Amino acid sequence: MASDVQAPLPIGPQPKVNYPMNVVYCGECTMPTEYCEYFPNYEKCKVWLEKNMPDMFAKLGVASEEGAGEGDTDEKKKRQTRGGKGQVKTKKKAMGPQKVCLSTAPRGKKKSVTVITGLRTFDIDLKVAAKFFGQRFACGSSVTGDDEIVIQGDVKDDLWDVITEKWPEIDDDLIEDLGHQKR
Amino acid sequence: MFKKFDDRESVSGNIQMKSSVQKAIKAKLLDQYPYIEAYISSIMPKKETLKIVKCHDHIELLANQSGELLFFRHREGRYMPTLRLIHKYPFLLPPLQVDKGAIRFILSGANIMCPGLTSPGAKLTSVPKDTPVAIMAEGKQHAVCIGLTKMSTDEMQSVNKGIGVDNLHYLNDGLWYMKAIK
Ligand SMILES: [Zn+2]
Repeated sequence: MASDVQAPLPIGPQPKVNYPMNVVYCGECTMPTEYCEYFPNYEKCKVWLEKNMPDMFAKLGVASEEGAGEGDTDEKKKRQTRGGKGQVKTKKKAMGPQKVCLSTAPRGKKKSVTVITGLRTFDIDLKVAAKFFGQRFACGSSVTGDDEIVIQGDVKDDLWDVITEKWPEIDDDLIEDLGHQKR
Repeated sequence: MFKKFDDRESVSGNIQMKSSVQKAIKAKLLDQYPYIEAYISSIMPKKETLKIVKCHDHIELLANQSGELLFFRHREGRYMPTLRLIHKYPFLLPPLQVDKGAIRFILSGANIMCPGLTSPGAKLTSVPKDTPVAIMAEGKQHAVCIGLTKMSTDEMQSVNKGIGVDNLHYLNDGLWYMKAIK
């Protein structure tokens, strides 16, 4: 780290670098992995790093131990202290428990529609999901609320398989059947 | 600027850009960003149609055909690259480096104070007032924030007090979390 203290900041495209540069973003905090240490849930980042980028994780263990000792004295001597909190907030996943709810509701006299809520708690893009359901069941499907998709027709029973297949992170224990709802 | 931004609430709509508008914007970018010329066709391929995303509070975003957000601007101000674009093409903006201690404040949305830009861990590139800059951080490779200088870098060194750079867009803010536009 000490070696780059003197080097000036790079201006303009650098030789030997191919643009666009490829930056690895953490699957947990979404930041470039070098910033994970500032994330309040750093422990979760570490789990992600260990799983997805073992090489980098190994280096990280060594670097943070070295850095910790060095940084402390460094900080006290040279750097002015700062007031304020400077707390990094987590925006993501501040919502309630992750759960998908399925129900059917009547539509007209004979037909019903299927209502899916809770997909957003898994960070799924609802527009994409609605389109996928429409294509899969060959029927109308639309985003109808902040976290609600309505599929035309009663496809509830098929949804268990379809959802867990399309999004493996959704366990079927996390899908709840609310039955038939009256309007 | 994007501290309270939420892509579900703050976006009012998006439109396909007319090719004449697209040309004008490209010309502007070429004019404002000295190193962009060799890369403009990979950032915005000629055949692709760009999208303008209109948001609340007079914020406008530019997205490419696949919906990735490339630039943002406030009112009629100049288009500034998003952090994701800066990470790919870091040379688009002149870099200023803050010391380690300032990182967590920037990540919580604070403006950048002069001392964080002049202390031993910091490095400056000489720029005048009102220049869009990429804020780099001591010991890190990638930018942490896009800002606008509130004074020249010479003044930052001589005054060394108060806000040196306005924090416009930082890692973890609403724009950072915004998904690609469909
Ligand atoms: Zn992380």
